[in-house]
Amino acid sequence: MTDARPPAGGDEPVTFEEALRRLDEVVSRLESGEVGLEEAVALFERGQGYLAACRERLGAAQRRIEELTAEDLPPEPGGGAQEPPAPF
Amino acid sequence: MRLVGDRRVFTVEDVTARLSGMFEGLKSFWVEAEVQDLRPARTQMRFTLRGEHVLDASMNGIVFDRLPHRPANGTLVQAYGRIEFWRQRGQISMRVEKLELAGEGLLRARVDELRARLEGEGLLDPGRKRRPPMLPRRIGLVTSPDGAARDDVLTTLWARFPGADVVLVSVPVQGDAAPGLIVRALRHLDRRPDVDVIVVARGGGSLEDLMAFNSETVCRAVAAAATPVVSAVGHERDVTVCDLVADVRVSTPTAAAAVVVPSLEAVEARLDDASLAIRRGLERAGAAAGRAVERRADALVRALRGSGALGRDRVDRLAPRLTSALRRVGATAPAELAVRREALRRAAGLRAEAAAGRLERSAGLLGLLSPERTLARGYAIVRDGGSGAVIASAEGVEAGRSLVIGMRDGRIAARAEEPSP
Repeated sequence: MTDARPPAGGDEPVTFEEALRRLDEVVSRLESGEVGLEEAVALFERGQGYLAACRERLGAAQRRIEELTAEDLPPEPGGGAQEPPAPF
Repeated sequence: MRLVGDRRVFTVEDVTARLSGMFEGLKSFWVEAEVQDLRPARTQMRFTLRGEHVLDASMNGIVFDRLPHRPANGTLVQAYGRIEFWRQRGQISMRVEKLELAGEGLLRARVDELRARLEGEGLLDPGRKRRPPMLPRRIGLVTSPDGAARDDVLTTLWARFPGADVVLVSVPVQGDAAPGLIVRALRHLDRRPDVDVIVVARGGGSLEDLMAFNSETVCRAVAAAATPVVSAVGHERDVTVCDLVADVRVSTPTAAAAVVVPSLEAVEARLDDASLAIRRGLERAGAAAGRAVERRADALVRALRGSGALGRDRVDRLAPRLTSALRRVGATAPAELAVRREALRRAAGLRAEAAAGRLERSAGLLGLLSPERTLARGYAIVRDGGSGAVIASAEGVEAGRSLVIGMRDGRIAARAEEPSP
């Protein structure tokens, strides 16, 4: 959707899928065959950045489990655990 | 009543009148039974209430037609009314004033009512549905402590994405306490900033088993959650209202895992493909630029050859070095290429200009030295009258030899008289 210009400042993708989406954009722009060398180099560098961001996020994912039961839950303000009466 | 001998004989009317009196003043009551043999009869709807025994019953036809949930044959109902005695037929029948669904029918009616109400509020609108993030930081999971659903979800989650990070809240998912606890679990997970998606999971069951997920509080808590909620409740056919208000509805733990985490294998393959594609893209652009440089290098070499500014063999010696130098530039510093190319273009331009200047000057000199210019200044060229060869020396020119004298504006035929060296 955006054309592939050199990234402006503060252009860091926030989420994994955003990085992946931008990576896809870079790839399709490069695959279009319509880019000059200068732009290709800029796209390549951006693409490397997005790849690194994606791989970093994948690498940071650690299998963990935190188990809570009903007793561990903080009490609801106003004791809202009651089911209201049936409508009829 | 009349007396026939010593026998008292009653009319049927006497009997029915007496019986009718016995049924007067009975109170109304609720009875639960199955409806059978529904049949309209003029202004009435008549039917049978069946337990192990049967009871004849009727209801005003208009009232029956206006019931919010009309029972069919076989439906379990709770009927409110009283026993009447029909004198004309000598039969007793229940006069039904209120008729409500009971059991599963009642539950289904409640579910339908809640669904319609939430739908009316727009809580089921497709526009409200949010897509869970592709790679959540943490996954909230609400399920029963001992459920197979819990193990199924965890197993499939980790099989698909081994790094999945889960916050699991175990709460009872059926019984009176279930809705309140499910709501608390949902709210707790929704408040945690690192939980990017919440999965509510429960295996299949009867409508009654699943009623917690048809309760208004649970459905409203799901609709109100800021975090996307995936409902993995029941099997394909057991659609709950929770399923309908959730952002995503799935019917198996595997499908739930597919919604909340990416397949690590697939995503790694995708990144590898992208990596390869951008490398190839750069190489392609580099090769295209290289070809452009070579075209220009060739043009430059041709221009140098053509201009004659450098000796031909010098150009021939330099050309391969120039081309390979340009190629090296292309391979090592592609970004500089455009700059270099511009410099080269300018240098080539200057060279060609200089060569052209020199050429012009040479042409001038050549012009100065041309025979025509000499003749113009008053000199003449003497040639042999027969062969036309230029005679540059007096020596060997014998008397009587025929000559041609070339002048600026014509020729004169002449004869040598007396050569004298």
